Amino acid sequence: MYTFNRRGLLYVAAGSSAAIALAACSSGAPPTTTGTGSASGSTNANRQISQDAYDAVIKGGPVADDATVSASPWATKIKGASFIKRGGTTTGAIFSLKDPTTGRVAGFDAGIGDLLAHYITGGTDVSKLTQVAQTTVDTRETMLQNNTVDIVVATYSITTARAQKISFAGPYYSSGDSIQVKADNTTIKSVTDLAGKKLVTESNSTAITAIQKFVPGNTPTLFADNDSCVAAVQQGRADAYVLDESILLGNAVKNTDLKVVGTPFTTDPYGVGVNKVDPAVKAFVNAFLQKIIDSGDWLKLWKATVGVYVEAAPTAPKIGSVPGS
Amino acid sequence: MATDTATRVLFDEPGPRGRATIRIATIVAAVIVVLLVAGAVWQFAVHGQLAAYKWQFFTYTAIIQTLVVEGIGNTFLATAVAAVVAFPFGLVLALGRLSRRQVLSRVSTAWIEFFRSMPMILVVYAFLLALPRSGLVLPVFWMLVVPMILVSSASTAEVFRAGIKAVDKGQWEAAQSLGLSPGLVLTTIVLPQAFRIVLPNLLTGLVSLLKDSTLGYVVSYGELMQQGKELVAYYHYMIQTYLVIALIYVLINWLLTRLASWLQVRTGTRKTAAAPVAVDLEPAQ
Amino acid sequence: MDSIGGMLRDNAAFLLNGVLTTVGLTILGFVGALLIGTVVAVFRVSPITPLRVVGTVYVEFFRNVPLLTLLILIVFGLPDIGLLFPLFWCGVLGLVLAGSAFICETVRSGINTISVGQSEAARALGMSFGTQLRLIILPQAFRTMVQPLVNNFIGILIGSSLAAAVGVSDITNVTQQLNIRYAEAVVLFLLSGAVYLVFALGAGGVGSWLERLVSQSRIGSAR
Repeated sequence: MYTFNRRGLLYVAAGSSAAIALAACSSGAPPTTTGTGSASGSTNANRQISQDAYDAVIKGGPVADDATVSASPWATKIKGASFIKRGGTTTGAIFSLKDPTTGRVAGFDAGIGDLLAHYITGGTDVSKLTQVAQTTVDTRETMLQNNTVDIVVATYSITTARAQKISFAGPYYSSGDSIQVKADNTTIKSVTDLAGKKLVTESNSTAITAIQKFVPGNTPTLFADNDSCVAAVQQGRADAYVLDESILLGNAVKNTDLKVVGTPFTTDPYGVGVNKVDPAVKAFVNAFLQKIIDSGDWLKLWKATVGVYVEAAPTAPKIGSVPGS
Repeated sequence: MATDTATRVLFDEPGPRGRATIRIATIVAAVIVVLLVAGAVWQFAVHGQLAAYKWQFFTYTAIIQTLVVEGIGNTFLATAVAAVVAFPFGLVLALGRLSRRQVLSRVSTAWIEFFRSMPMILVVYAFLLALPRSGLVLPVFWMLVVPMILVSSASTAEVFRAGIKAVDKGQWEAAQSLGLSPGLVLTTIVLPQAFRIVLPNLLTGLVSLLKDSTLGYVVSYGELMQQGKELVAYYHYMIQTYLVIALIYVLINWLLTRLASWLQVRTGTRKTAAAPVAVDLEPAQ
Repeated sequence: MDSIGGMLRDNAAFLLNGVLTTVGLTILGFVGALLIGTVVAVFRVSPITPLRVVGTVYVEFFRNVPLLTLLILIVFGLPDIGLLFPLFWCGVLGLVLAGSAFICETVRSGINTISVGQSEAARALGMSFGTQLRLIILPQAFRTMVQPLVNNFIGILIGSSLAAAVGVSDITNVTQQLNIRYAEAVVLFLLSGAVYLVFALGAGGVGSWLERLVSQSRIGSAR
């Protein structure tokens, strides 16, 4: 091993000089485009949630008057802390995605959290309104139950089973599972074509049960996050990706070699998870949700986030219309 | 042409024809290696993965900051905290196992044998998925570090046990015949020597811990792998990002291992190449 | 208790598959690592410099790279340059590459314990390189290598669990999936842990038996 000494030093020297050379020609900011293999110049691939537009929507949201806030001890605590603790993720495209260069999290779910924080605290520095705590399918309920987080906004599907442990405000968004395939795929057009195909989905999503129901006998490959599943389809490891339609549409816009086929074959209402102990908390958040729907801010948020990738604006769901909400 | 012991075991000292054969073989081998490397590079190029923008990406200050400062910083933090807790704990376990008290010995042995056979990812999943259902949700940092500590304590315990046993029995006997109590013998005579013997192994254990920290990818703690995951979520340069990250890990771990080698020589505990000290106390992880 | 029994019965095939996948990953990984590790060990001690360099770079890279990083590189990085392997074989490949680096060092240490006189005598008798390796060197080296090889094997067994993080349905992954569907976390994780414990202790036992076996044989005097 010791005769290697000089050569080892040589390698280290070569490596460090390469690193120094790289650092020397380092420029300021990375490209804002999220490029993929096919830089076909299509304007779609360059679409990005604009941080400024997002901030403007949040700042333009309604602010609760003092009476409303002081009537709720939960809201008073949040106002005192001047930020809200949201359970969620930072790697969810369109709904809650962290920009690695700025550290800011933006998306539809992030926006609901920020709007609620703005509503309660009236704060105008959007970057300080929310603190995101990473949650998973298994930690979500517990973190609400022991108040580690104030709310959970994380494409959190409302189910009666979950509603027994925590409360759901909303639904604030209605989606459904759809199918994503490679752009040149002509064999898969709807859920009935999925029989016998290699499917992939996220390991903690409700899409797994959807697949069990609509494509019985098929065991999908499970990956931990959206990008692994996207890569699986792009690289040919799987024929189709089943997940929430909005996320798939976002994938398709960022990756021009993918497309979404068929219409959603399930309904997936998303709710804001809150602690169950005090029913007034759920009422408070529901009142807030109704307010932003009525004032048009819900639609503005949608346009600034999901709307960047999807054309047709949906109508806001009816609060309390889903069992469990 | 180094003809150290190992080489001479397999190959004869080359005579003139041997040297000629070696020269030809060297050229042929060199050509084959160059061809293989060129082939790999060509494979990259053919699939568009050599595009400049995909590699220049790593020169941007913001990216370097994310990867190096946050990623490596958090990796070191998790590893250091785990080591600071696991190493002393491992020593305690080793002493427990060697103790003459049956209960202590059995409990320590059970702990050690259990966690030595347990994959760390299983322990992480248990903390991530199982414990929350009974109400215990740890901060993400501890969801990574506590499993690291549990698993590392077991292997560290074995390292210390081997070290204590490696101290010459004569030392024990001499110290005890001088009238020192077993406790004093341990702390003043045996442990310092054992420690010197196993120091390189502890560094190997540190390298192991550093490799274990990559499971931050699973719990979403912001160490280097997680930063890679977030970068890929945004920019989609999969092979470039993960290749760069792999090289960073190799560099760091290689430096740590060289440090271990140097320490082995410096403390004079390096035995001859014929019986290298504790090469495989650490399972491949 | 009933629900646990029901869950286990309904998913018996799934669980069994998981165990078989783990076993498959481990055994294929170990055999592959053994073969390649021995070859790389020979490279490292050969008098041909390019081979020594390749061997050293190979070992330094695959010993120091974390297995998870390697697996992710194989599963998600390689397809970017056109190499798409089924998930299970990605796992095997990762284990073979990482394992071979450690086994190479084990083999090298083993070779180092052979006294030069043994091999010089073998060559003086006119044995070819292959015969020398097969009849004289490896059997003697093996005697000292049993314990480290068992440790390597257990290392590969434990490493196989990381394949779960990239989608391979080994017992760790199956446990995680079942845990998401049902809520019987404790039972599932104990089950999974027991599988690894049994295999690891079993490997240790086989190792001890092998050691006793080879110490009884009388090929040559080791030192």
